[in-house]
Amino acid sequence: MIYAGIDAGSRAIKIVVIDTKNMQVIATGLTDQGVAQDKLTSQLFENVLNDNSINRKDVAAIVATGYGRDAVSIADTTITEITCHAAGVCRLVPDARTIIDIGGQDSKLLCLDGGGKVRDFAMNDRCAAGTGRFLEVVAQRLGVELDSLGKLAAESRTPAAISSMCVVFAETEITGLLADGKAMEDIVAGVQAAIANRIVAMAGRKVDLPVIFTGGVAMVSGMEAALESALGKSITVSPDPQMTGALGAAILASRRFSKVET
Amino acid sequence: MAKCCGDKNSQINASGPLEWFGKMIQNCFEYATQAKAKGKHIVGIMCEYTPRELIMAADALPVCLCGGSAEMIGPAEEDLPANLCPLIKSTYGYHLEKANPFLEMADLIVAETTCDGKKKMYELMNQTRPMYVLELPQKPEDSDAMAHWISELRKLRTKLQEQFDVEVTDEKIKKAITVMNRERRLRRQLAELMKSKSPPLTGRQLLEFKSNISGICADLKQYEKAIKFFKSQKTGSSKDSPVRVLMTGVPIVHGSERVLDIIESHGGLVVCMDNCTGLKPILEDVDETIEDPIVALAEKYFRLPCSVMTKNDRRMDVLRKLFAEYRPQCIVELIWQACLTYDVESYLVKKLAAEELGIPYLRIETDYSPSDSARIALRIEALFETVIERAGQSD
Repeated sequence: MIYAGIDAGSRAIKIVVIDTKNMQVIATGLTDQGVAQDKLTSQLFENVLNDNSINRKDVAAIVATGYGRDAVSIADTTITEITCHAAGVCRLVPDARTIIDIGGQDSKLLCLDGGGKVRDFAMNDRCAAGTGRFLEVVAQRLGVELDSLGKLAAESRTPAAISSMCVVFAETEITGLLADGKAMEDIVAGVQAAIANRIVAMAGRKVDLPVIFTGGVAMVSGMEAALESALGKSITVSPDPQMTGALGAAILASRRFSKVET
Repeated sequence: MAKCCGDKNSQINASGPLEWFGKMIQNCFEYATQAKAKGKHIVGIMCEYTPRELIMAADALPVCLCGGSAEMIGPAEEDLPANLCPLIKSTYGYHLEKANPFLEMADLIVAETTCDGKKKMYELMNQTRPMYVLELPQKPEDSDAMAHWISELRKLRTKLQEQFDVEVTDEKIKKAITVMNRERRLRRQLAELMKSKSPPLTGRQLLEFKSNISGICADLKQYEKAIKFFKSQKTGSSKDSPVRVLMTGVPIVHGSERVLDIIESHGGLVVCMDNCTGLKPILEDVDETIEDPIVALAEKYFRLPCSVMTKNDRRMDVLRKLFAEYRPQCIVELIWQACLTYDVESYLVKKLAAEELGIPYLRIETDYSPSDSARIALRIEALFETVIERAGQSD
């Protein structure tokens, strides 16, 4: 049977299609999020199916997740990204006990029992501090690409202290640091350390190993190192981190809807 | 999943009591206006530690003044810091805007030294309104704490006598205790309906059974009617049953029910609330066999397990008891932004849930503005997914 997971995130829409015959991913898709969320999602889904010669009728069920999950009209049901990321990561790294997921506007920390079951979770409250959006604003302000942040941070000898945890005020703070002649690499290192510290504070003292890092921000170079340094523990970046939510949604679609059929 | 709640709604509206309490503010306003016209005094209260019986015995009406409106926050922030509990700010906003008719009618406000935010807000309110503040001892296990609280209540009795030129006799207090014990018993019986495997009410509906003015005869009759009605109802099938939730933490005063509504519109059923607008003040009655009614009142009210108390072990005992009786599948703790005592104490509740009760726990810190509703809903949904997965495992 074929199942699809759609992760309608704040910055990107991700789709994963799986075939339960041998539990293989048979198609994936990715596009930027926009205003017409539902339309963009339907179009991407159609393209993914066409490109991989999959018949729409063969897709047994679709689960949507991500902050825009309720706007996905082609979905049969929705499941939160917390449960989906846990399922997706555990498919790729079965023994994962802690998941750090940093996306466009959310950061989450999940504690798992064995077998991908969520025991406890924490996430950021009202503001976008400690999220991908924070990094985007910084990169934009400094006039550099997101990809180059890690390289820049690695060059830093004295990371700047970023005290503001509000995206808007942090931008003002960075303007001040630039005016003081602080080097760009020190500012980048300071920002990444500030985000990492924020996540670690969410974790409290209990972080079981292995720690898996997922979500779009796991692809931003330098963040892995910043988290390891803040946590004092080694972490592993999930394979295909941007897609773990959609993968989890597809896996949960297969579990939930195959139960209904039988 | 939330459909079952809607179905119940239509059943209950037909029964009358919920309709009566749906007009609670209006009912209270009419009642207070008439009483005032007859020369009765109106006394505003700010917290469940204030014994309503003393006010009733002074032939006055005790009216709850806690603010639940988001609209009152803006005006309040002209005088108060933004980073303060919304309940305090809203209450104060009503005061500034003169927008709470009960506060405008009040001849006296009786408050107490519970949390620092309230205590200091009262000073500002006192600039233009008559106010009497009880000093609440905060170490319940201290040997002299009760004696101090008793003396505070005796002083309040004197104050009421002088202010209203009435005699607050033991007999009058005892009469008021009987009325309040009856009200507490009735509200407790209603809450106990939620122990059922398939409760006849939603948590939101149960919360509607309240009144800003205690001891109104018509209210008590409606409570009785409601209990009779719900007890006679056949409970529906528990197919597709919602997740049973115990809500703890801060009070959910009239108008601030947003988080409760989010829980119940995402597949949850709040079977028990241990807060000050829920079971906390009605779990115990005043002992009518104690000779001195002031001592009897002091003992009952001082036992309220508010987070301002140190240590507040009684709250954990109450939670253990309620967990056994109401069988919640998870705990959601509501913290109003900047409510330091409940916020810090949440550490102990989480620990109790994880290590002793063995159920998932979620802490939600928010205020009265709806800006974070979607994010709260996400966490509630994820919590319920966790609960359902656990339930599936144990099947």
